Amino acid sequence: MKVKIDLALCQGHSVCLGEAPEVFDVIDQADGYPHVKVLLQNPPEELREKVMKAARFCPNNVITVLEE
Amino acid sequence: MNERAAVALKLPPKVSGEKPGVGHMEEFGVNFARFLMRCNAECGELAEFNMGGQQTVLMSGPEAQEAFLKTLDLKLSRAAAYQATVPVFGKGVIFDAPPDKMKSQLKIQVDALRYQNMKNYSTVISQEVEDWVAGWGDEGVLDFLDEFLRLTLHTATHCLLGKDFRDRMTEEFRQLYHALEKGLQAIAFVDPYLQQPVFEARDKALLRLQELIGGIIAERRASSHIEYGDALETFMAGTYADGSHLTENEITGLVIATMFAGHHTSSGTATWTLTELARQKTYGAEVLQELQELFKDDAPITFESLREIPKLERFIEEVLRIHPPLILLMRRVIEDIDYKGTLIAAGKTVAISTYGSHRNPYYFPDPERFDPHRPKPDTLFAYIPFGGGPHKCAGNAFAMMQLKAIFAALLPRYEFELVDPDETYQDDFSAMVLKPSGPCRLRYRKRK
Repeated sequence: MKVKIDLALCQGHSVCLGEAPEVFDVIDQADGYPHVKVLLQNPPEELREKVMKAARFCPNNVITVLEE
Repeated sequence: MNERAAVALKLPPKVSGEKPGVGHMEEFGVNFARFLMRCNAECGELAEFNMGGQQTVLMSGPEAQEAFLKTLDLKLSRAAAYQATVPVFGKGVIFDAPPDKMKSQLKIQVDALRYQNMKNYSTVISQEVEDWVAGWGDEGVLDFLDEFLRLTLHTATHCLLGKDFRDRMTEEFRQLYHALEKGLQAIAFVDPYLQQPVFEARDKALLRLQELIGGIIAERRASSHIEYGDALETFMAGTYADGSHLTENEITGLVIATMFAGHHTSSGTATWTLTELARQKTYGAEVLQELQELFKDDAPITFESLREIPKLERFIEEVLRIHPPLILLMRRVIEDIDYKGTLIAAGKTVAISTYGSHRNPYYFPDPERFDPHRPKPDTLFAYIPFGGGPHKCAGNAFAMMQLKAIFAALLPRYEFELVDPDETYQDDFSAMVLKPSGPCRLRYRKRK
């Protein structure tokens, strides 16, 4: 699986960080909202459930999970 | 939206029915949601009308709405369109702050909606709901328009200003808040500084609120070791890029702004959700069954257990489609825009209508029919109850959590039915935020 993000939608709510800290971090920006940073572009299968939750519970639909 | 040398750009088509002096104000005032639908039906994707001298271009359809929602403040300004909020939130707050400070304030607002805070809020909301129903007894009739306004005022103040403030909340606070609410009516969007009694009352109320909330801030600064877990704590801890903190009046302004964003929108949606649950018996039964399974054996309502309640979520989403609390979103055009060959000139207002977008039959067949099972559109910009793009309502997850907490607690315990004839429960378009026409009376009965 591959993680795709749309930074234009990110407001730094950090739900992804709470769900899957192995895959996502949230970084403060010089101005405006903090933004998600993807640590693992292709997370291993055992993290699937966590990654899917991060995508599902993101309040701004920032995260898309693509199957390869 | 491109900015290139204007080569024979077209102008947006104008909506018929303009009257000298007032433009379309009268028709807008009768029912602005329907007026905006007429603009779209008559002119298509772009429709220009006149709001008492302010030329306004309605942008319709997912493509135009996406352009509207994704264009940043430098070109399409929220601040210029929402100046009416300045005397309500106070000087230097959000739409009155310089762009970099405004961004910091909005970021601090989101900080207050992050994970740990949200967990605290879900506990607070569940507690408020318990206190609310404690005196209900087995059966009765209530006007839920009033009830939900009060409940969500309690949850909002509790989450924002903490338990102490909520417990001590005085009649004075309610009246001050109400005076600010009245300061944000339609005329304020024409000129918020007219010599009018409502605006004088608004200004006095803001001064007194700054005093009251400033007092709490001072108290907390004097006892810095206590953890509160509310939004005020986050606002007080927040800093600008240079490391400085917000002033007391800026913090008060953020508190007021957050209340205004969340209070009427949540109470109107809660009232409509309960009304539709009583009206849509088959779908209502599905939601009830789901809740009974999820919360059987008195499983507690917690942040975790509230996160996934699919049938209730789809039901609330359908309520938000048919009755979006904020119908009209606006921006001021700062520099000329070329939208697909049409010039939208600097100085005009652009607007989108959530209500109209949610009734587009291409994405929502038979749009007036309430159907929580209808498929979601394949674009993010047709269903827009919280807007979208970089400025999407930051409280959207809070709003859904609060609504789910309310109905997860209410539905398994009580059944509800309409008291008045079905057709008397209608959208009320007279206020800035959509709600059912009052009174909105429902009968409740304790389930066996």
